[in-house]
Amino acid sequence: MATLLAPPAGAPESGAALARRPLRSGRDLTLVAIVTTVSLVLFVIVGLPLIRIFAVAFAPEGWEIVTSMLTNPVNRRVLVNTVQLGVIVALIGTAIGFVLAYTQVRVRFRGKRVLHLLALVPIVTPPFALATATISLFGRNGIITNGLLGIQGDVYGLKGLTLVLVISFFPVAYMNFKGMLESLDPSLDEAAANLGASKLRTFLTVTLPMLVPGIAGSVLLLFVESISDLGNPLVLGGDYTVLASRAYIAITGEYSVPAGAAYSLVLLVPALSVFLVQRYWVGKKNVVTVTGKPSGTIDLITAPSLRIPALVISGLVAATVVLLYLTVFVGGFVRILGVNNEFTLRNYQFVLAGIGSDAMFTTTTLALVATPIAGLLGMVIAWLVVRKLKRFAGLMDFVGMLGLAVPGTVIGIGYAIAFNTPWIAGGRQWFPAVAGGSAMLGGAAAIVMVFVARSLPSGQRSGIAALGQISPAIDEASTSLGASSATTFRKVTLPLIRPALLAGLTYAFARSMTTLSPIIFITTPQTKIMTSQILAEVDAGRFGNAFAYCAILIVIVLGVIGLLNLALLHPSLRGIQRRPS
Amino acid sequence: MSEVTIATAEPGALSLRALTKVYAPGTPAAVDGIDLEIHPGEFVTLLGPSGCGKTTTLRMIAGFEEPTSGELRLDGDLINKVAPNHRPMAMVFQSYALFPHLSVFDNVAYGLKLRKLPAPQIREQVEAALASMNLTPYAARAPHQLSGGQQQRVALARALVMRPKVLLFDEPLSNLDAKLRVQMRGEIRRLQRQLGITTVFVTHDQDEAMTMSDRIVVMNVGAIEQVDTPELVYRRPASVFVADFIGRANFLDVEVGQVGADDARITVLGREWSVPRHPDADGHGPATLLVRPESVRLASVDEQEDGGGVGRVVASMFYGESIEYEIETESGPLVVMVADPHDAQTFAPGDRVSVGFEASRAWLLPAATPVAG
Repeated sequence: MATLLAPPAGAPESGAALARRPLRSGRDLTLVAIVTTVSLVLFVIVGLPLIRIFAVAFAPEGWEIVTSMLTNPVNRRVLVNTVQLGVIVALIGTAIGFVLAYTQVRVRFRGKRVLHLLALVPIVTPPFALATATISLFGRNGIITNGLLGIQGDVYGLKGLTLVLVISFFPVAYMNFKGMLESLDPSLDEAAANLGASKLRTFLTVTLPMLVPGIAGSVLLLFVESISDLGNPLVLGGDYTVLASRAYIAITGEYSVPAGAAYSLVLLVPALSVFLVQRYWVGKKNVVTVTGKPSGTIDLITAPSLRIPALVISGLVAATVVLLYLTVFVGGFVRILGVNNEFTLRNYQFVLAGIGSDAMFTTTTLALVATPIAGLLGMVIAWLVVRKLKRFAGLMDFVGMLGLAVPGTVIGIGYAIAFNTPWIAGGRQWFPAVAGGSAMLGGAAAIVMVFVARSLPSGQRSGIAALGQISPAIDEASTSLGASSATTFRKVTLPLIRPALLAGLTYAFARSMTTLSPIIFITTPQTKIMTSQILAEVDAGRFGNAFAYCAILIVIVLGVIGLLNLALLHPSLRGIQRRPS
Repeated sequence: MSEVTIATAEPGALSLRALTKVYAPGTPAAVDGIDLEIHPGEFVTLLGPSGCGKTTTLRMIAGFEEPTSGELRLDGDLINKVAPNHRPMAMVFQSYALFPHLSVFDNVAYGLKLRKLPAPQIREQVEAALASMNLTPYAARAPHQLSGGQQQRVALARALVMRPKVLLFDEPLSNLDAKLRVQMRGEIRRLQRQLGITTVFVTHDQDEAMTMSDRIVVMNVGAIEQVDTPELVYRRPASVFVADFIGRANFLDVEVGQVGADDARITVLGREWSVPRHPDADGHGPATLLVRPESVRLASVDEQEDGGGVGRVVASMFYGESIEYEIETESGPLVVMVADPHDAQTFAPGDRVSVGFEASRAWLLPAATPVAG
């Protein structure tokens, strides 16, 4: 290597200029600005609604209802129902998720891809799709109960809710276990076998103990999801009232804000505490690293004693999913499914060209506005938490996750309380009313805020996981070369966590399009949202319209997700930019 | 080989005064009030065992850690609070920290683009930097398509193209295999000499420190033990710690007799010697004698020299270019290295040998202060 070291003849001035660049004092102001902005946004979209709920619930009128939860038999029943439903769904859903994941990863059979896809389908389900399909199939005039079996089915209440919620939420457990089982190092099995353990003993003493945190985590997560659900209890609950539907009735039927806030508080306590246990206790016990590369191949199970039950259960679950979705699909094309099976396009006409098209466009537009905000916000929070904040990283992480941990019903009621009126202090309006019909933009702003609050946590989680894999030295290298924090985030961090961003965006859009429980409290006549329109159609008994809505919702979600994948992961955008030499 | 040019800025002078870093209140300081002057164009190595504070010191110079107290000056200006991206320094990282989503060219151009230089000027400077590192054919490659040594050179080019006043290295060679490490040592040193950039290099590898540096800063538990040229650090270590950390050392308990201006008479191995001494080894406290393995002289007992002690060979190891012996003596065990040994100088375990040393190569030190408690 020969190097000659005269300054270049061409550009001595620029070299000298750079060398004499004044040393600007002071910290990285962009970072201060980013932290302030993010904290403020989080406070407004998550903190404020919760604070207002607390304020109303702890006021005398609200507190009276809170204390009556255990003394008043009706309210006690509601509380018991909620916990009962949560526990049953959590246990069955986790078991089914585990069986499907185990079958997928460890059992030899044909059609793994099909089973995988069917196990994931419920994730993009609009609310009511499954409940409505269940009523059509198993209700009083159900196709299967009445039509095939000739019995008066009673699907309302705990039975129907269990079926629908299990099908809705088992994919979460499935994904969880699939990841864990795939990353279990087969050499551990081999080591156990080498030390003389039988297959069963290996499973009981090695595999199962390693999965215990995963099982616990899944049970807790499903518990929170099912006690938070509002749509299904409204349609399928019958006399079986749970806290979420009780709070809804309080607000929309009894016009009692204190009661709504009180029921919200009671719902919030188990939801939040289970979430905390799941996050900070079970999460830390996890010994299975999902990023680990398996060092060996797994022996797929061929023994019939294990294979047949596993395949039968998986097959039944898959068949139920197929049946329910087929019902949604067919239901949209007939007048009244099971009663008048005449083919019609009226339902789709209603949604695509009639009154429904308004809701369709509004919902999609608002979701498209919220998606990039939520995705980016999630990534920024992840970056701040992992890289930049020291003392307050845990706090920001926690507040960001609240949008997911707090039941949608609670968030919705909190928004209604916090944002229906402008915020006036000292005779000056600081913040306009953003929710409700009289608010700016017809309440659309509040809906976008809810979408963002609800969907940013998943991006935040995947962002944090992705950043954990990237050496901090990469950030420091960028800083050392003169980049500010914001520039480093934009030019280095974001491109490197692109897959996490994509996951965040995908989830944000799907979640925004299908979320119901918070929306229902802040939707307005000017700003119609598809999920709450579906509820109206179901309530009015126009199942055909509801089915058409659901089908179109699914198509929109899948279509946008597909486009996102194409846009963000296309090779021409992903590859190294080559330059002509 | 092509002749290429890299433009350079005026080399900077760094001044560390009572620089201290305490990570959490109540914990011991990671860096405890160090003073150090680094002159323009100098190659200074911070050397020490892990946890000695060398990396923290480097990160304070770079701006990634803010000093708890003390002063950090660049060319006289106080820079304690200057954000790292505003310091005219460039750092080469242990892991190289190349941006995996950018090509080699874009990695090197990254900092210039941030300075908003015109595109043709960026290209010219990046190409010059790549050429001087023999990286021109790899400009369009992604970092992961390069070998470790090539990645190292990209990291170096990326730092040099910024024309930093100070170049910082954080254990940059520790991920390379032994042969490449020796080669990169030479390349970095040659480049640094030619460019005249002030350089601060952190390592725990004494060979790197010895071969590359103008001066070595030996650190231990957050404090500086010694700042000197490699030769002085080796020959005239300031403490038992430095003597032990740099190179291999025998320490002999000695009786100190008459003390001169810069030497002392001592008794060891059965006779009296006159050896150079550390200023603090003035006969008032316990002293220990440093004798490097290569300074020990062995001979067969029957051709006994006057006054040498007699020892017994415990073990011998053959390295090819040298033989190493472990000798048991009345003054304690000794490690001896005999370079390029003749047949007459080879001994077997159990042999009795006479033991002496080059008195002018020995060094009398104050004994290590025992740890309190």
